[in-house]
Amino acid sequence: MMEELSFEESLEKLEEIVNKLETGDVPLDDAIDEFTKAMELVKLCNTKLNNAEEAIAKIVQDNGEIENFDISE
Amino acid sequence: MDDEYLTVSQINAYINRKLKMDVNLRNVYIRGEISNYKTYPSGHSYFTLKDEKSQIPAVMFKGRKHSLKFQPENGMKVIIKGKIEVYERDGKYQLYATTITEDGIGNLHIAFEQLKKKLKAEGLFDDAHKKEIPKYPKRIGVVTAQTGAAIRDIITTIKRRYPYCEVLVFSTLVQGEMAAGQIVRQIRHAQQYDIDTLIVGRGGGSIEDLWPFNEDAVAREIYACRIPIISAVGHEIDWTISDFVADKRAATPTAAAEIAVPETSEVKYKVSQLSQRINKSITDRLIQNRQKVENISQKQIFKNPESIYEIKQMHLDNLIGKLNFTSKSIISKNRNRLIKIESRHVLTNPEEVTKSKREIFLRNVDKLTILDPLLTLKRGYSIAKIDDKVISSAKDIKTGDELDIEFDDGTINTKVI
Repeated sequence: MMEELSFEESLEKLEEIVNKLETGDVPLDDAIDEFTKAMELVKLCNTKLNNAEEAIAKIVQDNGEIENFDISE
Repeated sequence: MDDEYLTVSQINAYINRKLKMDVNLRNVYIRGEISNYKTYPSGHSYFTLKDEKSQIPAVMFKGRKHSLKFQPENGMKVIIKGKIEVYERDGKYQLYATTITEDGIGNLHIAFEQLKKKLKAEGLFDDAHKKEIPKYPKRIGVVTAQTGAAIRDIITTIKRRYPYCEVLVFSTLVQGEMAAGQIVRQIRHAQQYDIDTLIVGRGGGSIEDLWPFNEDAVAREIYACRIPIISAVGHEIDWTISDFVADKRAATPTAAAEIAVPETSEVKYKVSQLSQRINKSITDRLIQNRQKVENISQKQIFKNPESIYEIKQMHLDNLIGKLNFTSKSIISKNRNRLIKIESRHVLTNPEEVTKSKREIFLRNVDKLTILDPLLTLKRGYSIAKIDDKVISSAKDIKTGDELDIEFDDGTINTKVI
């Protein structure tokens, strides 16, 4: 399920968990579950940041065709 | 025969002579707006004079400048006196200005202010309507000219900062009559794609060049767009209507890209910060809980469970002691009181009480004896009465009254004479 999250979603979820845990309102058992989840998210974010392929610029033609867009042209 | 053909110079010279012969063109007064005003190192100034539909190149030579009462600027509406001639080298006719005077504020500026006021009143600039720009976008759309410097700046900046983000270009004209319609169409087109943020803009230019971004239709399309829009038109100093309507205004296309995507190193730092925070949070939490458990198990009750009833026992003993003490003291207090009462003089010497009472009695008997009227009669006194009423004064007696005189040994009846 985690693998399907986008980078933004992962980071947002991570922030959410950290904020929640820092308030101390979460029962200990849940906190440990959340912590495990958070560590997975950290790993996921780092993987995405380190291994993400460089995206390329594309141009969308009026007819909807998408082509690579090279600025060095 | 060859002379049948004119050279380019000849035809231009011919046209120029024709124009010069026209009296009207030798002395023209033209009203229009200045744009593309440039002064060259020679001191001559070249510009374009225009209205909504048309334009004419113009020049003011250095030697004429002394007549200027102000510094001409782009967008100024002016009245120019001059002549029309052909600049033969380029084969173009142009306006040679001799004087330039101001003619109020330029029409475009007026139009800008009017539209700005109108849209502001309609609420198109309201902060409440502005959407948040996503922090970590996956895909950025750009509505601008595919050939301009703006798109290069944007793509270069995004690749440098956050290369994972895809850029989708929606090319459009960004100046001229057709531009506004195309910009509107491309903003609409972009919404068919899964785009996080849309950058709409172009590089710097004159107010005429930037004009499409001051059009009512473009402003309304930006307002209606469901994707957050960053407006990036011209340079720092250029403000367009699009800038006011957009969710965010960037001073330049490069600035727009900087707003649109984060810096990768900052994101990595943020992730590591979050990771540290979560570790600290959970560690603190565990330490706290362990401490709590230890504190509880250290309590006296767990070490010495007898203490639960020992304390109660002590309390009970204490109460019993108090009860004993209290009851004893009540008894002894009362006993003492009894002893005190018993030892009082009256009770120990009752005969003294009767003795004194008898003396009082005897004294009273004596007193009574002295007052007894019968004894008085024995001593020779008598009592006079009328109808059993004792007479104590001679005034109470009249002649003829019958008196009863009482003696010690009897009563007689007499009459007063």
